[in-house]
Amino acid sequence: MRPPMGPPPGGPGGHGGRRRPPMEDFDESKFLEQSKDLLELRYIDDKNAVFKRTEGGFVSLDYTDKEGNVQHYDRVGVYRTFPMSNPDIFISIREPDEKAREIGVVKDLKEIAKETADILREQLDLRYFVPQVERIIDVKSEYGYAYFDVVTDFGNCRFAIHMSGGGVVHLTDTRIMITDIDGNRFEIKDVSKLSSAELKKIDLFL
Amino acid sequence: MEERYSISSDILNILQEMGINKEDVTYAASSDISLKHTFADGCVLFTETEVVVIRSKHNSEDRHSFGGYALETNTLNVEDCEIHRYSVKEVESFNVVRQVNGGMLFARIKDADTLLLEFSNSRMEDFDKLGRIYRKVKDGKELTDEDFVKRNKHECCPKCGTMYPNPQRKVCPRCTDKKALFLRVLGYFKPYIGYIAIMMVCFVCTAVLNLAWPYLNGVILYDKVLGKDAEFLALFDFVGGKYVVLLGFVVITMVLCKLTNQILGIIQGVMVAKIVPNVVKNIKADVFKSMGDLSISFYNNRETGGLMTRVLSDANEVTGFFIDVLPYIFIHSFTIISTCIVMFTLNPGLTVVSLMLLPVLVFLSVKLLPRLWSIYGRRHRAQRSMNGQINDNIMGARVVKAFGQEEKEIKRFGNYNGRVRDAELSVVAFDNRFYALYTIVQQIATFAVWGVGGILIVSKTSMELGLLITFIGYVGELKGPLEFLSRAFRMYTSSMNSAQRIFEIIDAVPEIQESENPVRPEKIKGEIELRNVTFAYDANKPVLENITFHVKPGEMLGIVGRSGAGKSTLVNLISRLYEPQEGEILIDGINVKDLGFNELRRNVAMVSQETYIFMGTVAENIAYARPDASFEEIVAAAVRASAHDFICKMPDGYDTMLGSSGRSLSGGERQRISIARAILADPSILILDEATAAVDTETEQAIQASLEELIKGRTTLSIAHRLSTLNNANHLIVIDEGKIEEQGTHRELIEKKGTFHKLMQLQMKALAMRGIE
Repeated sequence: MRPPMGPPPGGPGGHGGRRRPPMEDFDESKFLEQSKDLLELRYIDDKNAVFKRTEGGFVSLDYTDKEGNVQHYDRVGVYRTFPMSNPDIFISIREPDEKAREIGVVKDLKEIAKETADILREQLDLRYFVPQVERIIDVKSEYGYAYFDVVTDFGNCRFAIHMSGGGVVHLTDTRIMITDIDGNRFEIKDVSKLSSAELKKIDLFL
Repeated sequence: MEERYSISSDILNILQEMGINKEDVTYAASSDISLKHTFADGCVLFTETEVVVIRSKHNSEDRHSFGGYALETNTLNVEDCEIHRYSVKEVESFNVVRQVNGGMLFARIKDADTLLLEFSNSRMEDFDKLGRIYRKVKDGKELTDEDFVKRNKHECCPKCGTMYPNPQRKVCPRCTDKKALFLRVLGYFKPYIGYIAIMMVCFVCTAVLNLAWPYLNGVILYDKVLGKDAEFLALFDFVGGKYVVLLGFVVITMVLCKLTNQILGIIQGVMVAKIVPNVVKNIKADVFKSMGDLSISFYNNRETGGLMTRVLSDANEVTGFFIDVLPYIFIHSFTIISTCIVMFTLNPGLTVVSLMLLPVLVFLSVKLLPRLWSIYGRRHRAQRSMNGQINDNIMGARVVKAFGQEEKEIKRFGNYNGRVRDAELSVVAFDNRFYALYTIVQQIATFAVWGVGGILIVSKTSMELGLLITFIGYVGELKGPLEFLSRAFRMYTSSMNSAQRIFEIIDAVPEIQESENPVRPEKIKGEIELRNVTFAYDANKPVLENITFHVKPGEMLGIVGRSGAGKSTLVNLISRLYEPQEGEILIDGINVKDLGFNELRRNVAMVSQETYIFMGTVAENIAYARPDASFEEIVAAAVRASAHDFICKMPDGYDTMLGSSGRSLSGGERQRISIARAILADPSILILDEATAAVDTETEQAIQASLEELIKGRTTLSIAHRLSTLNNANHLIVIDEGKIEEQGTHRELIEKKGTFHKLMQLQMKALAMRGIE
């Protein structure tokens, strides 16, 4: 790979591409514009965007671009860019298809109208749900797997994780993410809130 | 035949009430998470005419089970459900959106996307299938059993239901006898049986000496000799009644005892030194050998660090128990039993006093050991993450320096280092506490013996001072063995753990195996044909779909496509590093599955952008695939790869050491060495995987010439981003999202004005622009 380090995603530094007059039949100008677009971060706020709930349970968007053209999207994807460390900032709004081209970024959910923020939060909840472990009933490890029996805010459940490698990740000193053998995630928000008997059960992973 | 889908009886009942029979259902997928984010069952199914969505409204009280546990369905009553019915006509398609923690199913109904259900990753495959099968039905295609095959399963032992630790190796750890594991490790010690015998003799002698010592030290020295026991002195009449000689004799015996003990210890040490390194070496060799046989996917699934630990430390860990514990178990048990017997014969009352606290010790060990176990585990993990950080830093030294982040890295290291220290401290602290408790209990027992013994002496019963000292000595003798036994169990568990990990690799069956009666053609012409090849690393996401093409011997096929389109995967399938799930790959009309490994790999060579230079000389690196090549052949290959020049300019020429400690080569030089390697291997099929992507334009031109030399007379598959390198290709395919988007000759593709044409023009313009500036 070269260069070894690119600019951070979404950062500035996209003004190198010099505009050339279009050549022949090949729509090069459109291509160049597209690649230039990729290098720019577009902010979405109350002024240039209207989000609406759709009947199907998704969200639609009417977006006014810099030139003043209004674009309508029946459905948009709503993504977090810092889902762990800062879930409310830099919410990326993307086209719904597989390529998921970015339409723009909402800088901070707190800076937009509350109603819009609520609509977006609903979509985020759909995408980023993670059961929070509230109580640990039992953990037993044998033959390369650890079997958990826990109470989460989703209800009681049992799952199994691989003992070797990556099943338990420490996000901070007290926050833990557990990934089971199917790739489902569970989270313990604050380990220090667990009772000492529970801590003992997961001691192996701390 | 397996069921085509799984559906809970509760849902079947609900369907029954709706007038739908199980036989009518074409396919059904069950969800496990409600839209309100609770664990609850739900279902989407379709019949010939109707689509039904069942969603639970409430949180189910039942406990939900994810993969690894037997599937339990939750209760669902019709009153708790929200049911939607659509006609198949109005539902255009089902689509799955992959999310962070599962997926979301929506349907295209009357030109609008409607959210139907959410589900966890455990159910992803079922819903993917729902979408696929529904599309097939909509397109009016015939459904086959193949469409319903469940690929992602956690294989369990049919006897006891335990999940296999390694799905590729269907051996149940619970059902494989623990003893068998133990005996298997013992097998590694077999060649050293002579040494082991000597060791055992030493152990027994040591035990006997240890047993005799307190008696010699107490009863003989104090009571009989110093106490001038007439009866005893009479036994030693032959020394002529000289008391000093007798005393000297006893002292010398005692000194000899201690000396012999030391010598036995040294012999033991020598034996251990002879046995252990050899056993460890043999285990490591076995692990390394089977790792070599395993398929590429095995390496993809594991981190390098984990594999390194297996080869390096697990081998040591296994032998630890057998050397440090096993021999001593007999010795220590022997010591305990014999000591108790001796004590009992000396004075039964005192024996009871001294052993009174034994149950307390047992209780303490059982109670405290699990905690000790987890503290050891924590230290192990702290060490592992510190090793990881060091590894990270060494690999990324260049980036660290380039960004001037040494300070930060030192601080980061300090963090990990501190954690290891803390873990180490807690181990020591706990060990000390454990030891202190043990000692206290021991001391109390000793004091009790002193006290009771003292009273007995004062009250002038049969007790004498020497006997008491002997007795105290025996109580002391018990201390070591007891402590030892409390640890033996832990060592055994950890050793068996390591053994299991090691045997898991040694026994692992490679996913891709040579066929039992492989076809071994003398010469391969190099005709390649792919028929409807579909391949996926992960059963849910096909990387290649329905790839079909044909390359005649000696022809060149160009493969074009954006990064991540599946080009490299495609060529890896041809050299059978992976196996396609569907379709077949034929070389000279023979399925690659039936070709001998030797024949296949000798005839297929790859030059990729990641060149790997092994530790060794330049000549050894060029002759990697054919170690028997003559000097003449090596030089000829280097000349044809235009590597000869720069090799000659190096001071040590073809003998220059390359690799970690040797000279480092530039990208172009490495590339030319790997081309020379391929030329020397003389394959009939050549794969160029972006062979010139990592070098500058000038070098590329030079290498291009060597490549053309290499291509002559061989079937070539060439992957390239720079289309100019594909000018010689007889045929081109453009791959996008795992499918062949366009194919044809150069001219055909340009005339078609599709993707290839677009890319071609774009690159030409880019070159032209560079020319202007």
